Amino acid sequence: AYKRFSELLPKEERENACSARVPKSQILTLPELRANPFQHRICRVFSTSDDGDDSMSFEDFLDMLSVFSDSATSEIKSHYAFRIFDFDDDGTLDRRDLEKLVDCLTGQGEESRLSNAEMEQLIQNILEESDIDKDGTINLSEFQHVVSRSPDFASSFKIVL
Amino acid sequence: MAAATGSAAAKTAKSCKKYRMVKRHAGIYTYQEPPHSNSDDDIGEEKAESHDPEQIFQNIQYQKEIMSNIRCRPWPMRQKLRALRQAKEIVLKYEGRLTRTRGYQAAGAELWRKFIRLAYNFVVIFIPWEMRIKKIESHFGSGVASYFIFLRWLFGINIVLTIMTGAFVVLPELLAGAPFGSTVSKTIPKEHIASAQDLDTIWSLGGYLQYSVLFYGYYGRDRKIGKAGYRLPLAYFLVGMAVFAYSFIILLKKMAKNSRMSLASASDENYTFCWRLFCAWDYLIGNPEAAESKAAAIVNSIREAILEEQEKKKSKNLAVTISLRVIANILVLLSLAGSIYIIYFVVDRSQRLERTKKELTLWEKNEVSVVVSLITMIAPSAFELVAALEMYHPRTTLRFQLARVLVLYLGNLYSLIIALLDKVDSMNVTDPDVNNDASNSTTFLATKTPSKEDNLSTTIPDVQIKRNGIVTVEDSRTQGLMVSDSLGNKTVSFNTQNPQDQCWETYVGQEMLKLSIIDMIFTVASILLIDFFRGLCVRYLSDCWCWDLESKFPEYGEFKIAENVLHLVYNQGMIWMGAFFSPCLPAFNVLKLIGLMYLRSWAVLTCNVPHQQVFRASRSNNFYLAMLLFMLFLCMLPTIFAIARYKPSLSCGPFSGQEKIYDIVSETIQNDFPTWFNTVITYISSPVVVLPALLLLFMLIYYLQSIARSLKFTNNQLRMKIQTERTEDKKKVVQMAVARIQNLDGNDKRPEPETDIISQESSVWSSTPRKNGSVLNFESPVTKGTRIQTISQSVPQTLPSTDVARPVNATPTTSTSLTPAPSVSSVQKPRNDHITNRYSSVVHGSASELCKTKPYTPVTFKKHTEDVHSEPLFRKGIRQVNPDAFGAGAPGFVGRRPYTTRYFVVNENEPRKKSLRSTSRLQRHFRKDESGDVIELYPRNVRRYVVRTPHQMYSPHPSEDEEDEEELGREFMTRSHRPRSLSDLRPAPRFYIGERADGHILMSKDLARVHYKSWDNGFGLDLDRPPYAYKKVHLNYPEPRVKPKAKQKLEQSLTESDSISIESSSDPQNSSNDQYIQVIHSKEKYPKPGTKLTKKKSKNSIDLNMSEPNELVCSNV
Repeated sequence: AYKRFSELLPKEERENACSARVPKSQILTLPELRANPFQHRICRVFSTSDDGDDSMSFEDFLDMLSVFSDSATSEIKSHYAFRIFDFDDDGTLDRRDLEKLVDCLTGQGEESRLSNAEMEQLIQNILEESDIDKDGTINLSEFQHVVSRSPDFASSFKIVL
Repeated sequence: MAAATGSAAAKTAKSCKKYRMVKRHAGIYTYQEPPHSNSDDDIGEEKAESHDPEQIFQNIQYQKEIMSNIRCRPWPMRQKLRALRQAKEIVLKYEGRLTRTRGYQAAGAELWRKFIRLAYNFVVIFIPWEMRIKKIESHFGSGVASYFIFLRWLFGINIVLTIMTGAFVVLPELLAGAPFGSTVSKTIPKEHIASAQDLDTIWSLGGYLQYSVLFYGYYGRDRKIGKAGYRLPLAYFLVGMAVFAYSFIILLKKMAKNSRMSLASASDENYTFCWRLFCAWDYLIGNPEAAESKAAAIVNSIREAILEEQEKKKSKNLAVTISLRVIANILVLLSLAGSIYIIYFVVDRSQRLERTKKELTLWEKNEVSVVVSLITMIAPSAFELVAALEMYHPRTTLRFQLARVLVLYLGNLYSLIIALLDKVDSMNVTDPDVNNDASNSTTFLATKTPSKEDNLSTTIPDVQIKRNGIVTVEDSRTQGLMVSDSLGNKTVSFNTQNPQDQCWETYVGQEMLKLSIIDMIFTVASILLIDFFRGLCVRYLSDCWCWDLESKFPEYGEFKIAENVLHLVYNQGMIWMGAFFSPCLPAFNVLKLIGLMYLRSWAVLTCNVPHQQVFRASRSNNFYLAMLLFMLFLCMLPTIFAIARYKPSLSCGPFSGQEKIYDIVSETIQNDFPTWFNTVITYISSPVVVLPALLLLFMLIYYLQSIARSLKFTNNQLRMKIQTERTEDKKKVVQMAVARIQNLDGNDKRPEPETDIISQESSVWSSTPRKNGSVLNFESPVTKGTRIQTISQSVPQTLPSTDVARPVNATPTTSTSLTPAPSVSSVQKPRNDHITNRYSSVVHGSASELCKTKPYTPVTFKKHTEDVHSEPLFRKGIRQVNPDAFGAGAPGFVGRRPYTTRYFVVNENEPRKKSLRSTSRLQRHFRKDESGDVIELYPRNVRRYVVRTPHQMYSPHPSEDEEDEEELGREFMTRSHRPRSLSDLRPAPRFYIGERADGHILMSKDLARVHYKSWDNGFGLDLDRPPYAYKKVHLNYPEPRVKPKAKQKLEQSLTESDSISIESSSDPQNSSNDQYIQVIHSKEKYPKPGTKLTKKKSKNSIDLNMSEPNELVCSNV
């Protein structure tokens, strides 16, 4: 991991890779993240940078890999998945978050995008299923509840370097 | 919020460990938490109280816990590291003080762990193709990778099989057996030696290959070989059986492991949409193309789900589709039958050809396996076309497709083996005749031809008639004639060739190996042609073609996981089928799988795109295995049949000269073991032993099955319970929200906590009549009626026998007491106003909700025996949460809290209960200190209404009556601890809730005073309450009494901390509820009005006396 991380750094900073920060654009060149629709969210969630440029230190990088590794528990995975899906960082998944999530998944193509009616229906269904307390949003525990029932989540929510 | 609790913790510093547990829970379940405060606090506390060894020990334990599960916490890495470092420091610092040896132990364990880790990392390097699979996984997602993992697993199995056969059969034969050419069965006949090295002979596995260790026929019949006396025939037989046994065991083991993993998540709960959205993306995908197709697949699946949802609402005209499906199925059946017939025909033809022609062409020699392979290749695509007709849902299409292909493969293998065995049959029929001849005359002469002609001409028609009309009798007649004609010409060669050619086992083995080889060639060819060249064409010709090749017609080859897996299964089936007759088949398969692995992975990486239909990896694993198991079983059948049914060929193989193959075992037992063993075996195999053993086995199976069934039953019921609870939750929350909205205009803040009380209570006590009682007192007659109805509904169902009378009696009293409620409330003017409007809004909802929930609850109560177990848990959960939540003090959370408690409950484990309980108590204690006197009033008011109304109605006498009743009730309970503990468990959550509510609301002291006064008015009457409490205990817990003792014990242990202190007071009435402790506590805060007003009743003085120990209890905890 350290090697991969230091590869992302420009040459002159290689020596003190542990303290340097890698800008977001560099992180996104990783092949594992390049195709991921949630790449920006992942950077945002794992970055601890103060000035909000989503750059990552080595610790952040390690953090990300540990969450996406095989050995992380599904609880952790679902926790971070929630944060990744929580686009406005307000601690709940509301309708706007879900819309953005669907958009991310379906991509930008014209024909692949869902129409408004479909989107409405989809979100309606999702909320019906998972929103236990009917407050119109999905909070972390609801999310974890749903996701922990899924058989595929733990196996698909991982990145192999 | 953890900071808030943290500061509180610093103040107490009494039971810091328990505290931290609470905090940790808070940390896990809240969104974000500042771990700094956590660890800092720990250290601060450490320093404050490092002298107590017990504390140190606890602390160390705790820190170790932190270290062990620090991975499981969603903190950023920096904080994790910091916490870990601190924890380690502390442990190192204090551990040395306790014992030195423990330190060494820890060091050793640490070293060992590091070593294990290193070893593990080292081992990973040697897992074959790990990197390759990871690479594929990262490009194509876990679905495709599962195919390769399956392949690797099969490879492992085959290696073991190879080692088994190689080590116990092939190697001994090679090393110690008779060398090549020494015996008849190991020499190539003279006529063949010339052509033995020709390519086409080798190709058809004749010549040298036929007389090699590859096949059954080569193995010698000597009972012992070599100096050590290795019993080769026995080993051969045992290894043949062990191959099957090993495969079975390993398969079942793997399946059990898989199913154990998937069972946890196998519940068919309907979260389709959520899963499709939240779990859709496979984060492993790194290839842009794969990502594109994955995105398309996700869109498809989402659209599909939406469509399905819409389709559900309207029913379609199905006539067309049904007819289409019928046609499709007919087509499939036809093609299956056709393929089976073709294979049969081909085998038959090859037999005839072999008999009639001397020199066979290359095609004629291999046509059987070529045809079989061709069918296996073409038919699936045909099925796919047919499936397009059917217009099923894609998933069902896939399933149908798989089933059909599996049937096809099986049909192929079966028809092949049956045809082969038929041929063996015919060989066996001719065999004895020939052999008679051979034994009669040592030299084969043409003079024997007449008899031979007779023999053959009679036998061949026989055989062909046996084959059930594939060839008609006339045919066989001519055939027989023709054979006899031709036989006249070449009887000599036929005869000399006969003893070796008649080795049917070798023949079967040859066919299987040939089939396997051809299959491999076809696979390679198909990969190259269909995938690679198509890929090449599409990529390079798409620029100069009139349409877009990449997206229109030829496209890139898809990687069809399911079909490829099926092909692997089929392949493995062939191996199992032929392994007995050709010991080297597993070895060959190992080579084949290696080749396939590289070729496939190369092809996938270069020229394939993932399948459109997403084949779920996790679910499919067991599916593959199930198919494999099915295949194994079906492939074992013919082999076993052949072993049991046919006589081994006389002139070749290890079993020659025996009547049946398995005779070797009994023979060995008879000759080579001591006689006592022999007698033991005969005893064991006698019916006297076998029959009871069989019977026992059946009984065992039946027993296990019934257990499994009952487990399934409970499983289903638990699931049902979860579902009903979830629906209840939903209803409750809706109702709560409605109540909140209604109350917004009236009282600004009060309704919120009030609804909270109800919702919390109702979520936990979905069927507590007592709550109904308290709440419904303020209701209009209509709702009362409903309530009585509901209770009477639940009563006859829940209370089977003796208890029925009592609760029914109880309910009327409460309900009658309800009617005067308005008059009572008029006495208490100042309060009544907001109480009434508060309730008017709240109660309607809850009552209606209760009506709704009622139908569920009796069911759950009656059926789920674990209910009562879980309910104490629930209570615990609430207690634990409430302090936390209160610490957070976020009113916005109110609505959500019941659910968080719910999760707590689920995650709670028993060992923690006690400590949690006591912590929560402690917390309560705090609260009292901090928020002072205001606390208790609110709930009391609510409670008081319950109590008071009957009293005012009946005056003291009836209340005494009720006490009598209570006595009776307790007699009914047979003086067990349980009811008591239950009843004092119950008020507790209520109390907390009330407390919280007050903390929020009642801030002004004088208001509190008013409340308090009014409460104290009713205090004396409060004593009347226990009867109700007891009765309700009755109602709620009809079944604890039926329960086995273990549960009782559990409950006792749960409530011990409470009940011990309370029982010390030895007053049954006081012991009944926690409430009194609270009451008295608050009374001391307000000594004046309390004492003044309580003098109204003599009993209250007793209570005052009682207050001392109770107070002690509180502070002690």
